[in-house]
Amino acid sequence: MSEEHGARDAAQAADLLVTVATSLNERLALTAGELARSQTMLREASGELMTAFRGAADRIVAAQRSVPSGTPDRRSEYGVVLDHLYRAVEHLQSHDLVNQLIDAQKTRVDKMREQLEQALALASTPVAEPQRPDQWIERSRQMLDCIVAGIRQIDEDARAPVHKDKKHAGSVDLF
Amino acid sequence: MKTILAVDDSATMREMVAFVLESAGYRVIEAEDGAQGLDRATATSVDLVITDQNMPNMDGLTLVRSLRELRDYKSVPILLLTTESSDAMKAQGRAAGATGWLVKPFDPATLLEVVQKVLR
Repeated sequence: MSEEHGARDAAQAADLLVTVATSLNERLALTAGELARSQTMLREASGELMTAFRGAADRIVAAQRSVPSGTPDRRSEYGVVLDHLYRAVEHLQSHDLVNQLIDAQKTRVDKMREQLEQALALASTPVAEPQRPDQWIERSRQMLDCIVAGIRQIDEDARAPVHKDKKHAGSVDLF
Repeated sequence: MKTILAVDDSATMREMVAFVLESAGYRVIEAEDGAQGLDRATATSVDLVITDQNMPNMDGLTLVRSLRELRDYKSVPILLLTTESSDAMKAQGRAAGATGWLVKPFDPATLLEVVQKVLR
């Protein structure tokens, strides 16, 4: 095989890597957008729920105060309603954990995209001597390193999200 | 009325803490990280601080240490309310001068009990 053919084949292989990196990067951009959208929706829903809970609690507390003395049943009924709201608040805290997990995924996706963008930046620099196959091969190797480094981010513990610790959840230590 | 400073980078978590404490008759002021918490605590007289641990700008343990250096906060109770539950972290909290450590998700009734206890 002549050096000219070798250089052409090596250049085509490099182009293939550009296609792979571009395609992966576009899909990851979509994922990043979806994660951000999910986080916004979660934040808005949690915020709305809390506003509703606070409104209800304010009314209950006001009603509790206005109960005339000598009617303990009504006062205790309001207490039960408030307890239900407290229980709802306890479960709503899961949103915080989900938010942390989404944050960790966003960081991971961003790091993957950084590596893919590095690979694409390499591809946009002209090869000094395009007739030499070894130069194309070296470029492909560098691009492949970036792509692999990007894919490896999947296994990285992006920002060590705190997992819900069922054993200790709700525990109290007073020093 | 006792004033409680709630420090958490999650607005909804702050709202939850405020919701529980205000329904029990406390006044709650909020801060979104340790640095803002320190500012609020120095600008206003606070009877209790409840802070998250993992926050941008300044984390909970640094906030505890910073507050304990201030004369007005030598004996004010400070509670960590966090998803962190390791013994090592709790030991750091204790060494920093925290009054107690509560692991999220918190039970509102338990939170109120602890608050009443440390404010006694």
